[in-house]
Amino acid sequence: MIEMTLLTTLIGTLLFALVAPVVGCLLAGLDRIISARMQGRVGPPLLQPYYDVRKLFEKERASVNAVERVYVGAALLFAVLAGGIFFSGGNLLLCVFVITLSSLFFIMAAYSTRSPYAEVGAARETLQVMSYEPMVLLMAVAFFQVTGSFDVAAAFGLTHPAVCTIGLVFLGVLFILTIKLRKSPFDLALSHHAHQEIVRGVTTEMSGPTLGMVEIMHWCENVLFMGWIGLFFVWGGPLSLIAALIAVVVVYFLEIWIDNNFARVKWQFMFKSAWLVALVAGGVNIAVLAFL
Amino acid sequence: MELSLGLLGFLIVFPLIVAAVLLFVRHEGPRRVIVCAAAAVIAAASVALVVMNLGAATVLFSFESEVVDFVCTGISALIAAVIIAFGVRYKNVLAIALAAVQIVGTLVLEFVFAHEIEVPYGLYFDSLSLLMAFIIGVIGSGICVYALGYMEDFQAHQPEGAADRRPLFFALMFVFLAAMFAIVFSNNMEWMFTGWEVTTVCSFLLIGYTRTEEAINNAFRQIVMNLAGGLGFLAALYSCAITVGTFSFLDFLVIGVNEPAIVTFAVTALAFAGITKAAQMPFQTWLLGAMVAPTPTSALLHSSTMVKAGVFMLVKLAPVLAVAPAPSIMVMLVGAITFVLCSFMAISQSNAKRVLAYSTIANLGLITACAGVGTPEAVWAATFLILFHAIAKSLLFLCVGTAEHHIGSRDIEDMDLLFDRMPRLARFMMLGIMAMFIAPFGMLMAKWATLVSFVDAQQVALIVILAFGSAATFMFWAKWLGKLAGIAGSPENVEVTVKPTEWTALLLMACLLVLGCVFLPLISAAVVEPYIFGVYGTVGQDISADNLWLASLCTIIVVVVLFAGVGAKPKGRTVDVYLAGVSRDADTRSFQNALSGTAEATTRNWYMESVFGEARIAPVGVVFNSLIMVAAFVVAFVVTPLVF
Amino acid sequence: MAFASKSPWVIHYDGSSCNGCDIEVLATLCPGFDGERFGVINTGNPKHADIFLVTGSVNEQNIGVVREIYEQMLEPKVVVACGICACSGGVFHDCYNVIGGVDKAIPVDVYAPGCAVRPEQLIDAIVAGVAKLDEKSAAMKAAKKGA
Repeated sequence: MIEMTLLTTLIGTLLFALVAPVVGCLLAGLDRIISARMQGRVGPPLLQPYYDVRKLFEKERASVNAVERVYVGAALLFAVLAGGIFFSGGNLLLCVFVITLSSLFFIMAAYSTRSPYAEVGAARETLQVMSYEPMVLLMAVAFFQVTGSFDVAAAFGLTHPAVCTIGLVFLGVLFILTIKLRKSPFDLALSHHAHQEIVRGVTTEMSGPTLGMVEIMHWCENVLFMGWIGLFFVWGGPLSLIAALIAVVVVYFLEIWIDNNFARVKWQFMFKSAWLVALVAGGVNIAVLAFL
Repeated sequence: MELSLGLLGFLIVFPLIVAAVLLFVRHEGPRRVIVCAAAAVIAAASVALVVMNLGAATVLFSFESEVVDFVCTGISALIAAVIIAFGVRYKNVLAIALAAVQIVGTLVLEFVFAHEIEVPYGLYFDSLSLLMAFIIGVIGSGICVYALGYMEDFQAHQPEGAADRRPLFFALMFVFLAAMFAIVFSNNMEWMFTGWEVTTVCSFLLIGYTRTEEAINNAFRQIVMNLAGGLGFLAALYSCAITVGTFSFLDFLVIGVNEPAIVTFAVTALAFAGITKAAQMPFQTWLLGAMVAPTPTSALLHSSTMVKAGVFMLVKLAPVLAVAPAPSIMVMLVGAITFVLCSFMAISQSNAKRVLAYSTIANLGLITACAGVGTPEAVWAATFLILFHAIAKSLLFLCVGTAEHHIGSRDIEDMDLLFDRMPRLARFMMLGIMAMFIAPFGMLMAKWATLVSFVDAQQVALIVILAFGSAATFMFWAKWLGKLAGIAGSPENVEVTVKPTEWTALLLMACLLVLGCVFLPLISAAVVEPYIFGVYGTVGQDISADNLWLASLCTIIVVVVLFAGVGAKPKGRTVDVYLAGVSRDADTRSFQNALSGTAEATTRNWYMESVFGEARIAPVGVVFNSLIMVAAFVVAFVVTPLVF
Repeated sequence: MAFASKSPWVIHYDGSSCNGCDIEVLATLCPGFDGERFGVINTGNPKHADIFLVTGSVNEQNIGVVREIYEQMLEPKVVVACGICACSGGVFHDCYNVIGGVDKAIPVDVYAPGCAVRPEQLIDAIVAGVAKLDEKSAAMKAAKKGA
């Protein structure tokens, strides 16, 4: 039994490592085209993110120190593992913890360079993790309350989608999703756009293949987070996967829209609003489920 | 079983003998031999005891002795005398008063009420005591070994002509171990109480070691708070003698589970004693003040002894707390509020030892909250929190102590480039930090189990508190970790003068930590689950074995990254950091400024004083927790029937 | 297939100039001309950039900056001198502090004259630079195989 679950997770991780970058890359390409259209531009080809990463891997290897690449590699590895745990129907909490571990390695990579810009970025990234972490944990708890299990696979045993009972939690997750996807107005640590006041934040010193790994990691992360969104919409029937897919598309579009319409906020606003949302949306919904 | 009883007695008595000998050893050479040998013997004996009794249920030893009773009374009198003597010398009325009340109370109890009550089985052990014995015996003695090298440096850093009190210091360390063994192995609550008070007075003397004004003040703060807690214990003993009619701890627990009303007052009072000892808010200030002591003292107080006695008591009470609402709510809320508020306050601290102290109090709060919940799952989580906190925290304290002696500061901001200056030590410190707050290390696995047990018990407030507290935990550890991770050029390596005894202790803790995390599922099966089964009759374990093994796998990867991956030669060109202009020296981050002069870029961590400052947060916890405890005592007093 | 040409990320530095070319460069990257059609992204970080767009001439004060940005860029990399000042010093060529065009500080691959240089011309220059990028990328690969 133990071997079985471990094996499923490992196979899931391998599959995720193959599929997620492709999906994530296409999502990123779509993101850039839609953003361009919102700004009245044509925008790049759909495969532009793929070209970018291929180019990065063609660049010369240069780094501030030897450890940065190792940390980024570990971050990528754990991001993939988190995805594997999630999509093989594994434990949602473990998935959350492993993706946090991945964030930590990413932060350490930035700190290890001692670049003032990267350090500011890393400090902000740490703050971002602190801002969204309560809501993420409460999401897992709410999911447990609905399904009676922390296993993602349990969602398929539901008679109705989880969002019906934990709608408030869903809204809370939607709020912090903007932080997790590094979208404006919460792209404090690292922006996907050129306009950043701290050069490039966390990735200031990451270049060439290392930056390529970071991009791939973001693709994987985005697929995983979209999986979290989809989780709110699945239930027993096979049709539910289509419902989840539609929900994911709508949410992703919404995030792009937010990204293009809001200016970056200060850290105080991000932190306080994220905690307030977690407290109200998460706390109230969980209390209602526990006591009713 | 004969052998086990022998080992058990040995563990309590042997450290006392060592302490007596050390008191008269004034030279470094012989002291080193004695301490190392004694530490090895104690560690070996406790490991032997654990290994011989793996998976054991409760084992009681028929052991009753008038002599021990009188010795205990004598020790109580001695303790009171010591405290009163110091109180007179430093004019602290409160300490004198509390000590006087305590000794009078003890004597009255012993000669008026307790005379007829007999405890045929004076000693016992179960898997939880064994786990505690392992922590005390291995980690505690490891710290004693570390103290050898540390105290040599410490003495060298003292002003010329300062009194050398090291004989007393090492004697006290070993007395501490003996007292702890007495607490975890005594079934006779009076003996346990004696051990309890010995730890209180030992930490009083250790905190006041340097006899500076600050040290004396903090020592008195500690003794006043813990004497108050001791009075709680004494009140519980009175309640046991009058209402419950037994001094056998295990009988007391069984009666408590069956008839919670009878023991409500006693449990509340014992829980209060545990809460003071575990430095929960509003008593957190004594542990923060204890930081003035030499670092091995802090390590001992924080990781394997003293505060662990407090949570050991609470975890023992957990099955009763599960059925007695008043003390349960008190313990739960006090622990949870302490956890979240102390995690917040840790963000605002730049003194490494203060960060460690707040983190200790916060984690003890979590253990306390688990004990308050009292379900088997919560106890599973609490037990692992105790184990991994002990290992990781002692590793961290020892690292900070060594770093302090070599870089001349315990401020986190001064630990910049530690990865270059003390490469091995920095890695140990990073391991210790990661083990405190991030998956897949044991501490987080235990937190995971805590969360699940809170969810099972439908404790919404605790769930929310845990979610926010954990997020704050990430912040203060991650920014410290980041400070350590920085690498630039090759500054001078100042690590070469670290004493071999210090390396031995550090390596021991690091190995224990990694092994403990990797083999967590085995520890659970061999030690923790037997205890829970023995107490509850069910196996409470919320995390499936395959997820635990998955975490073990991740642990191995992280350790490999930390110790093997991060040391490779750079591939490709090594370049300087980008400073948006003309760099002058990349290692110091200096660049050409607008006037063609040289400016240096500096960065500081975030402390968010305006959000998480002590002045804002601490009063909230102190007031709130005090009110909770007063309310709990009132309810307990009303609920408990007085039977004469 | 070389991907360098499909994703030319640029960094822009304005030396000693009247800022006319500077404004034109930014205009080129704005939605009106939509450089992103060709994968052009304006980065603020030499470590991420492939093409270095310099406007204005090099003087005693900024020559160090220009050199440092160039050195911090990763191979393969291309320099485009944008505007006549960057090409030769332009109207400022005989100022007391001006050294001359960008090629006095670093090797320049593409010259795009003009006062001010027009966006259409800049796009042309970037496209020419992209071809150079591909050449350099291929040369790097060959060297790697040879080694």
